[in-house]
Amino acid sequence: MDRRNFLKIIGSGAASAATGNLLTPGRTFAKDTPTVKEFYGILVDTTRCIGCRRCEKACAEANGLPVPDISESKSADVLKTKRKTTDTEYTIINSYDTEKGKFFVPKRCMHCNQPGCAAACLVKAMKKRPSGHVTWASNCIGCRLCMVSCPFDIPKFEYSKAMPRIQKCNLCFDRFNNGGIPACVEVCPTQALMFGSRRQILEEGKRRIATNPDKYIDHIYGEFEVGGTSHLYLSAVPFEQIGFRKDLGTKPYPEYSTGFLYAVPFIFVLWPIVMLGINRATKKDGHEHQEEKHEEKGKH
Amino acid sequence: MAGEKLETVEVVQQKEEVPQIKSLGDFWTFMKGQLKPRGNIATPFNIISLPIMILGYIFIVYRLATGLGKPITNLNQEYPWGLWIGFDVVTGVAFAGGAYVLCFVVYILRAEKYHAIIRATVLNGFLAYLFYAGAIVLDIGRWWNIYNPMVGNDFGVNAVMFLVAWHFFLYMLAELVEFSPTIAEWLGMKWLRKILGSLTLGAVVFGICLSTLHQSGLAALMIMAKSKIHPLWYTEFIPILYFVSSIFAGLSMVIFEGSISHKVFGGQLDEAHHKHYDDILVGLSKICAVAMFGYFFLKAILLVHEHAVGYLFTPMGTWYLIEVIGFVLVPCFMFISGAQQKNTATIKFAAILTMLGIIINRLNYTFIAYNWYLPLSEKYWPAPMEYVITASIILTEIWAFRWIVNRMPVLKEPPAWAKAMEEH
Amino acid sequence: MNRKWIFFWVSIAYLILISYGLYKVYTVEATLRVKEVPATIKPENKIAIAHTEIFGKLERPQVIFNHGKHEEAFKKEGCNTCHPEKDGQLIFDFPKTVKKKGKTAIMNAYHDGCIDCHKKQSSEKKKSGPAVCGDCHKEKDKSIAVKYPVVEFDFYYHDKHVKKLKEKIGKDDCGQCHHTYDINEEDEALALVYENGTEESCYYCHEFGQKRGPELTAITKVAEKKGLTIRKASHQQCLNCHLKYKEEYLKKGEKEACPTECIKCHTGKYRTVAELEKIVRPDRDQKDKPFIDIENSKMKGVTFDHKSHEANSKTCRSCHHETLNACDTCHSLTGKPEGNGINVANAYHHVFSEHSCAGCHNKKKEEKKCAGCHHFIPAMDVETMNPKKETCTACHSGKKDQIAMPKPLSTAGLNKDKVKKEVEIKVLEKEFEPSKFPHRDIIDKLVKVSNDSKMATYFHRNLQTLCAGCHHRSVSEAEAQKDTPPNCRNCHMTAYDRQNLNKIRLLSAYHSQCLGCHEKMNLEKGRKCTECHKAKPGDPKKIITMRNEKVVKQNTSIIINEWRPE
Repeated sequence: MDRRNFLKIIGSGAASAATGNLLTPGRTFAKDTPTVKEFYGILVDTTRCIGCRRCEKACAEANGLPVPDISESKSADVLKTKRKTTDTEYTIINSYDTEKGKFFVPKRCMHCNQPGCAAACLVKAMKKRPSGHVTWASNCIGCRLCMVSCPFDIPKFEYSKAMPRIQKCNLCFDRFNNGGIPACVEVCPTQALMFGSRRQILEEGKRRIATNPDKYIDHIYGEFEVGGTSHLYLSAVPFEQIGFRKDLGTKPYPEYSTGFLYAVPFIFVLWPIVMLGINRATKKDGHEHQEEKHEEKGKH
Repeated sequence: MAGEKLETVEVVQQKEEVPQIKSLGDFWTFMKGQLKPRGNIATPFNIISLPIMILGYIFIVYRLATGLGKPITNLNQEYPWGLWIGFDVVTGVAFAGGAYVLCFVVYILRAEKYHAIIRATVLNGFLAYLFYAGAIVLDIGRWWNIYNPMVGNDFGVNAVMFLVAWHFFLYMLAELVEFSPTIAEWLGMKWLRKILGSLTLGAVVFGICLSTLHQSGLAALMIMAKSKIHPLWYTEFIPILYFVSSIFAGLSMVIFEGSISHKVFGGQLDEAHHKHYDDILVGLSKICAVAMFGYFFLKAILLVHEHAVGYLFTPMGTWYLIEVIGFVLVPCFMFISGAQQKNTATIKFAAILTMLGIIINRLNYTFIAYNWYLPLSEKYWPAPMEYVITASIILTEIWAFRWIVNRMPVLKEPPAWAKAMEEH
Repeated sequence: MNRKWIFFWVSIAYLILISYGLYKVYTVEATLRVKEVPATIKPENKIAIAHTEIFGKLERPQVIFNHGKHEEAFKKEGCNTCHPEKDGQLIFDFPKTVKKKGKTAIMNAYHDGCIDCHKKQSSEKKKSGPAVCGDCHKEKDKSIAVKYPVVEFDFYYHDKHVKKLKEKIGKDDCGQCHHTYDINEEDEALALVYENGTEESCYYCHEFGQKRGPELTAITKVAEKKGLTIRKASHQQCLNCHLKYKEEYLKKGEKEACPTECIKCHTGKYRTVAELEKIVRPDRDQKDKPFIDIENSKMKGVTFDHKSHEANSKTCRSCHHETLNACDTCHSLTGKPEGNGINVANAYHHVFSEHSCAGCHNKKKEEKKCAGCHHFIPAMDVETMNPKKETCTACHSGKKDQIAMPKPLSTAGLNKDKVKKEVEIKVLEKEFEPSKFPHRDIIDKLVKVSNDSKMATYFHRNLQTLCAGCHHRSVSEAEAQKDTPPNCRNCHMTAYDRQNLNKIRLLSAYHSQCLGCHEKMNLEKGRKCTECHKAKPGDPKKIITMRNEKVVKQNTSIIINEWRPE
């Protein structure tokens, strides 16, 4: 067979295959993932939360964690102390007594716009997804720098396991990719949690504040804190009274390390130049003669 | 007395021959010979250190099998980093800083005065990185993934830790290259020695760049913990503080470890060397004093810059003053006085104080002034097993150091053929 | 050897320093939590003398001065022993004379005033007070606060004073207490005048810091300059009179008359509106049912039941916030300076004002019995920012002297089949037993609550108004269907609407409506989950059907999780 024939056969074969593909009816394409263009988040209205803890239960069920007992008697006990998220509880409720009465505040990962944990992770195990979810992946090496870098102290490490993981709320990323909403939002009986794009929930938060000036204080926690987070909180009392830190600033946490990281190329360029320069400058005369001798020798 | 010593030196030199390694079989025989212990096995040091090391290895296996929880470490969710990261890795690396400073002084500034100790320092640095930065493997929760930052699987290039990890790795290689002439001399491979000798300057320059960045990088790891570290310690300039303190930390370690080596391995050195060593100590103490003075002033300026002066009157302020005045300013003056009066005892004591100060400083950032506002019940203090494992790592490193020093021309003079090579 | 010892001791010193430092560091949280909260003591006729407005941060602790004891001791000598007099009136200032201004002068005046007298008393072998610094400036009194409850000169007191004075003098002489300030009078001594028919509350001129119309602002400025706060003015006015007549009444046997002790007036006990309902209000020739008709206005006039509103207020100032005149004296149709530019429509109708009709009515809706429904009902028509149009005709009848009180509501006409007695909610069957909702009982209860309140009866003109409390926000035609307003499920769906985020889903609609009402009305029943829906016995079904599969796999993997035996 000569080259021409060979090419003809291959060409026609390819063309027919292509045409066949185009014309074949009823071919199923893979389900399109939604083209996500914005961050998604949750608006938490602490004035609506009644402390029933169904969100804790739903989260546990959706993530395969031990399901807590949320009966009223148990909850009354549990809510007496201030809790933190743990390696088996992605979200918890705390109750606070304030001047305006008792409030219940859910605590979970804030899914910051620019997360300190994601910036700290050297293997990108902590990743900020285009949809806003901050998730953990198993290529993690367990260095726990994300725990050091999180201003809210959220990532929790499974110290008791031989194959430990970092555990935190993942905003139900899998459910989201299948068109669903976070489990906690779905079961909240008072719609204290609202899920939507960050733009939508921010708008809704501002609307609530504007139409109920007596009910809320004029601040959405997470709008600008640490550069903005995807979990936004509304409150009827100043946020310090319900367990939030006000001293975190508005600078995104990754920006703290950019100064240092930008210095890296400078050092790598300047230091060798300076050092080699000094090395040459401090060369003693004797050596120069020797070098000349060598050069002469080399020439010949 | 002097005559006797000369004799010993002569005898040693006569015995030395260039080992001829032409094949793997030769290498194996050579190594078997090298593995034989030199000297007394049942020294007090051995008797004390061996059980600790073995216990430590058992604990290490236990840790690898069962994870990081209690009773192995006291780490908790508020204190993810404890003794291993704080002391083994961060402080260990600070102490290994003597290598790059001395390389700078000897190879760049060409201060030949310190040439005698450069190999020991580089060896120490290399072993320090190998063991202490290697101790990271112990501390990391998912140690089987340790190759991930090296190999790919998503490089997190925006992470300071990524930079630190790579720099540790590259620096280990650079130090190995710097130390490799010694190994070549030990193995008697002349062609290798020539090649490696020419690589030294490049390795030194590369190593200094790397050191600058990862010494300050270790600080930059904590830079995102702004809300957790006490305002007296936290500033955005901690990388610079760490870098400057690594200079005098490393040199203090050189003084400390050098003094011990000189006592222990004194047999390998001659009288001239010993006298020369005092000069070296004085020189090092001067560098330390200058660096510490600068560091102290940096700290003072940053205190004002961060509006943290008011905190000096709080309990944490007491601790801060103890650290900065007791362990930076006082040793600084001791170094100056020791250098002026050429009193090596003062210098050595000051070196120990400085090292304690560095340990305190690094541990402050890791778990003492970190999350300082938590109640006592949630605070962290290292667990007994952590101490044992740390001790066993340090002792293993000392054993490795001893093994190498007793066999390779680190403290002793390099063989004649190598010396001749260097002159040209 | 000497050097070795130096090093040894220095090492020990350092070890001690480190241990001390670490101890301090590890116990720092304990010291952070301690906060000094000033203890408040019962007043008991004591006064705290600190004058931090003059002295700033005090060098010595404040003095807790027992005024009662001194008053008792100088009963015979009289108050002018310590307090200065002017024009026959006592001015309750201390010290009596302050020669110069400034901190030291005031301190010296106090010391001279107090210590000199103490020294004099003790030299005369009489019971005396301290003369040594520390006996007055006690360390334990450092952070004590002495707070006297405000005196409420309510209608009861006013009525009593009116009656007693009439008894004494024989006629009504309001000028004994009431006066006004003639701002145009040049001679200050003659500026305080009494004009019959202009009696008002002291607060109008003597309360500073409120925004007032131009005329009153000028007068309050004068009062402020003279330092005549409501506290000073009332003490001067009241106590002088009390002191004048106290002896007289004591002789008559009335021990409690004309009180001069602090705690006798500052009781902290306040009368409720209900207790004051029957008390005769001060007489200013006010009409019982004035007809408010603004010239050139577009709305019909309103017959206003002033008398019943009087009976339901604690003070005239709740409505008459600046002067005791009709609203349209200062607030004209288009607004004038006296009324701060606020026109009469807003003066009467501003929904969030404290002084307007609509504002007060709105505030009343926050009460327990009303808030259950009214918490969720928007206070006003959002577009016009005014009360809703349906309520206009309730007041603007245009008929003089006629206040048509609507009949009380009755459920007699309700169709028993359509308006169910008990509604069963089955949508939660997955997790709970069906919830049985006592529909008819709630309607009956709400009708009773509404009928009990005059204001509610006035505004809840028909039963549908009450139904709209729960059956809300739908088209009014739908809600007006007397017997079958829409069901909750007609508007609130179970699915989550990602397009309309703030649209309430069925689950939260039920809970916010029901629980919200129970919470606002502070009911005992119906606050716990299981009271309304019992949990299903046995293994509860999972409430989440879709899971995060990747995470579940990791969290439940046997290999990962069971590696380490407990």
